[in-house]
Amino acid sequence: MMKRRTFLASGAATLAAWRAFAQTQSHIVGTLFPMSGSNAEFGTLYTNAVQLALDHITADRMLKSPIELRSQDSQATPQGGAVGMTRLATVDKASYVLLGFTGVSKAAAPIGGRNKVVMINGGGVGPDLATLSPYFVNIIPLANKEVTAILPWLAKEGLKRVALIYVDDPLGQSINQEFAAGLPKQGGTLVGAFSVPPTQQQFGAIAARVRDVKPDAVYFATPIGTQLSQMAKQLRDNGITQQFVTYSVGNLPSIVAQPESEGMIFTGQAADWTSNEPKIKRFVEGWRTKYKAEPVTYALNYYNGLMLFAMLAQGLERAGTPVTGETLLAELMRVRTFQLAGGEVTFDEHASASSAIQISRVHGGRSEKIG
Amino acid sequence: MTAYLLNLATLATIFGILAASLNVLIGYAGIFSVAHAVFFGVGAYAGAQVALNLVPDVLLASLAGGLLSGLLSLCLALPALRVRGEYFVAASLGLQMLAVTVFSEAHSLTGGHGGLVGIPPASLLGIDVSSPWRFLAVCVGALTLSLVSIAILMRGGFGRGLMAIRDSESAAEALGKNVPALKTIAVAIGCSLAGVAGTLFAFQLAFINVESFTLEQSVLLMAMVIIGGAGTLLGPLVGTLLLLLLPAVLSFIPFIPATEIGTVQQLVYGLAMTLLMIFRPAGLAAPSTGRR
Repeated sequence: MMKRRTFLASGAATLAAWRAFAQTQSHIVGTLFPMSGSNAEFGTLYTNAVQLALDHITADRMLKSPIELRSQDSQATPQGGAVGMTRLATVDKASYVLLGFTGVSKAAAPIGGRNKVVMINGGGVGPDLATLSPYFVNIIPLANKEVTAILPWLAKEGLKRVALIYVDDPLGQSINQEFAAGLPKQGGTLVGAFSVPPTQQQFGAIAARVRDVKPDAVYFATPIGTQLSQMAKQLRDNGITQQFVTYSVGNLPSIVAQPESEGMIFTGQAADWTSNEPKIKRFVEGWRTKYKAEPVTYALNYYNGLMLFAMLAQGLERAGTPVTGETLLAELMRVRTFQLAGGEVTFDEHASASSAIQISRVHGGRSEKIG
Repeated sequence: MTAYLLNLATLATIFGILAASLNVLIGYAGIFSVAHAVFFGVGAYAGAQVALNLVPDVLLASLAGGLLSGLLSLCLALPALRVRGEYFVAASLGLQMLAVTVFSEAHSLTGGHGGLVGIPPASLLGIDVSSPWRFLAVCVGALTLSLVSIAILMRGGFGRGLMAIRDSESAAEALGKNVPALKTIAVAIGCSLAGVAGTLFAFQLAFINVESFTLEQSVLLMAMVIIGGAGTLLGPLVGTLLLLLLPAVLSFIPFIPATEIGTVQQLVYGLAMTLLMIFRPAGLAAPSTGRR
């Protein structure tokens, strides 16, 4: 009679062998998102987008080998990012990993680079992400490009005096610099720039200082959704009635839904949810059907992130080239321009995307494109 | 798989040093600090600056990190000499908040929120130790040295003095123990070792920013010490292994949906810690009689 220990050992060996066999037959794609803690809202949103893309890729039979998703919880910390990336690169043997958050990206980038894993950022917009690693790809336009897009709109609307509330990180610093340099060219002035720590949740004192500088518009530059939510709420509670403006973080469902965000303007990559263009229409309808909610641009980025993988892998499969991180990156740099949901996306020499930017307004708990 | 296990083992040894260093304060001296991540951070930034601007020698960087953390620990020792118990916890909490602000704002030293990137691979006296096996060996060496030093110190008069203070500060003082001096030395030793751990952490991640040195990290370290067994030599190591490796083990459970993986991990993690504190209140490595 087989001993229990022998039975367990042989069972484990069979499982490991099956897993190894399955891996050789599949394209392993990893996700490294925060799935716990205060940033889990982002992780769930991003994962849902990746799963919707997987449904569409599978339905279209784009690839000969199936895609197998492996998820790791980055906890939105550098340490979580490093551990998760090591796991995805060396245990799961992922050739392509979708990730977000600046600290996570910076910790994961050297590990991914060493292991030749293509890393796709669709959430972090700090300009310092542009040159992390040759294998680090930004599928989202970085924040400085979003500010460049909002400046003419501010001038057109006669919002010449702008107050900036920003977290003093590379993202906030770059937005501050863009405003300081760009506003005068449009006939405007940066009347105040107020730096806040990322943990701050009380903005009564900031509201008083904002009121003092008499701005026409208040721009928020924080990468933290909960903080943006509090900024908007507390400034309104403190009698600041001026126009609120922010970058693509304003597109988070929790921000769009809160009453104090009514009228808030935010930029983001072009994504017209009412468009009849087949790719974007399919994404929007798929999202509404599957998740019973309105889509957001962050979801579109990660949807496009996996779609990009399918396009690259499809090209490699057709050419009979093995699908590895190295070949995927080479294919990306060879093709450069892709027709993704939302429009054409072109990658520069640092593998950072540039695409059309749109301006949206929060109205009635929804976002609507205004420019 | 090997690279992943090596990465986890290296992090476990680094956090082992860190937990053992906090154990000097909490377990032996009875100083409940919630600012230990500050000294971890000071060591990490100091070591990273040495590596980035001078030479990426892990010994030199660790010495710099350890010395600077030890010196700055006087900021913690000063309130420690004046207050005790819950009042000290409040004082250390203030220091933790202050330090996070300094780490975030001192751009030229810490890189601010963007942190310090591109920390070069480690060498040791001219020998390249950047490969995972070699760096793990360096970390295991540092851990062994730390534990042996703590064991020797705690077996002598210094250790007995600290434990007397922990059990009753007034009684120790009445018996002629120099309480301020003993506490100051304990804090300096604990924080210096935390600085060494910080330097090793900086080399291991090749990137550091303030997110690794927050109050949450300090609380996690405290949990490692208490769950493992405060005042025991091996307790902090057991606590480190449990708290650091449990999430990694849970991530291998195949049937958890991708969107729920974090929630399930946190639930199991929290439940395990609660059960441990109910059934092993003195910690996993402490004798079951409650004797230290």
